[in-house]
Amino acid sequence: MNFKDRYAIVGIGYTPQGRVPDRTALSFYLEACANAIMDAGLERKDIDGLMCYRQFPQRPGEEEVTSYLVAQQLGLRPNVLSQEATCARSHFHHAIGVLEAGLCNYVVLSYADNSLLGTSNPHQPYSDKAVFGQFGAAGDYAMAARRAMHTLPTGPETWQEIAVTQRKWANLNPKAIMYDRPLTYEDYYHSKWVVEPLRLVDCCLINDGGRACVITSLERARDLKNPPAVIMGLGQHNPSWDIRQSTCMDGPTGAKIAGRQAFEMAGVTTDDIDACQIYDCFTYTVEITLQDYGFFAPGEGKDWFKDGHAAPGGALPVNTSGGQLSEAYFMGLTPITEAAMQLTGRCGDRQLGPKTGTKTPEIILCSDNGGILQTHSSVILRGL
Amino acid sequence: MIQMTYKKPLPWPNPDTKTFWDGCRQHELQFQKCFPCGHVRWPASIICPMCYSKETEWIKASGKGTVYTYAVYHQAFHPSFEKDIPYVTAIIKLAEGPHFLSNIVGCRSDEVYCDMPVEVTWEDVDEAFSLPKFKPDT
Repeated sequence: MNFKDRYAIVGIGYTPQGRVPDRTALSFYLEACANAIMDAGLERKDIDGLMCYRQFPQRPGEEEVTSYLVAQQLGLRPNVLSQEATCARSHFHHAIGVLEAGLCNYVVLSYADNSLLGTSNPHQPYSDKAVFGQFGAAGDYAMAARRAMHTLPTGPETWQEIAVTQRKWANLNPKAIMYDRPLTYEDYYHSKWVVEPLRLVDCCLINDGGRACVITSLERARDLKNPPAVIMGLGQHNPSWDIRQSTCMDGPTGAKIAGRQAFEMAGVTTDDIDACQIYDCFTYTVEITLQDYGFFAPGEGKDWFKDGHAAPGGALPVNTSGGQLSEAYFMGLTPITEAAMQLTGRCGDRQLGPKTGTKTPEIILCSDNGGILQTHSSVILRGL
Repeated sequence: MIQMTYKKPLPWPNPDTKTFWDGCRQHELQFQKCFPCGHVRWPASIICPMCYSKETEWIKASGKGTVYTYAVYHQAFHPSFEKDIPYVTAIIKLAEGPHFLSNIVGCRSDEVYCDMPVEVTWEDVDEAFSLPKFKPDT
């Protein structure tokens, strides 16, 4: 099925983000969703689909944040309700599927957390990994990055460019957690190891807050108050294999096939892309994703990023809010909402175009990625 | 050597992995080999992911392999690993095929490299469990 140019993002919801004390995870969901609905000029009675990203274990004293609870507290009775169990990242396919099937007219997609409130539930699911001291996404991505250092010309010289580039964008974004914290190449090498070869500045932020967006048909979008960010192309591919069994951690990852699907649906190539918003759990993720999309040959990321190619004033801006490395972490909603905001000209000092010495964007490519490079989705948006 | 005060997370055998961990107790690294197609698999599971056959045998692996990739921990994400820092976790590409996550021991963390030849060495952590770790194969 080809649904090019038939659906659009029409509303974005932000919340306070960063260190925001005395707030439950649920409260950020509610605020983000309500803001997205109001931003679209819709009312709660209009919303008939609610989809939530996966939720990490709740904090002591808080109810588990389910999509039921979010719907209840927003006064919604949707026809379709869903929530990721892991990180499958196929929300846009689900949303468009239910819109296409006529089950829904307006779908809200959301993620929120209160990650900084303290220790999460200590009863993590059992994994053999912990027996050998392998913990968290940083440990697994460190292995992916290390393998890439072995098979490609890559390493800190590439990743420093990504960290510094994204920080420059964050320094233009007052909402970004790292807004007033410049990052130099020297700072990069002074950043402490999280799991070698990944330093703290290679890792995404951990923050409180939430983000949401509203998706509807382009036909309905035309009646709403915001200009739409039109979905030109979608792709999804899931290598699925855990890091322990993966043989694609150094590429091609799921981005290769997902990207090709999205480009084919949209009828565009990398040459038509004016900016990229790339899921950036780690610097290395940005490199391997752009490489798999075909923006540069394997191992040529260092040269591609240098001299501010993806920074303010550069030829191909990447992660213009600062991304998850320097703005805030909201899973795939950090990149996708930034793309929609840029295409609708709502980005203030970081707005692509004359203000930042870049091309006014017509088409933006976004990625989302789950697990440890186990799932990948690509979304190409355009302005109208 | 039995460590009486072992505080790290222990294996938790299940119906799929019990044979593996029982083998480890005997210092034997065992994996399932599919009868029809010969694929050697890990993690343990009821069917072959290549041909869907349930016919399988457990084979004893040589314990030799190479480092596919690795990570160096400079901070502990669980207090029981604090004294080991810096320690190395690695994915071992075993001679028989499977990839297995373990630790590299017997050398400094900065001596480990991808494709490094390694061999199994056993750590008896308590009465019930022995863990397969890997050391440089010289």
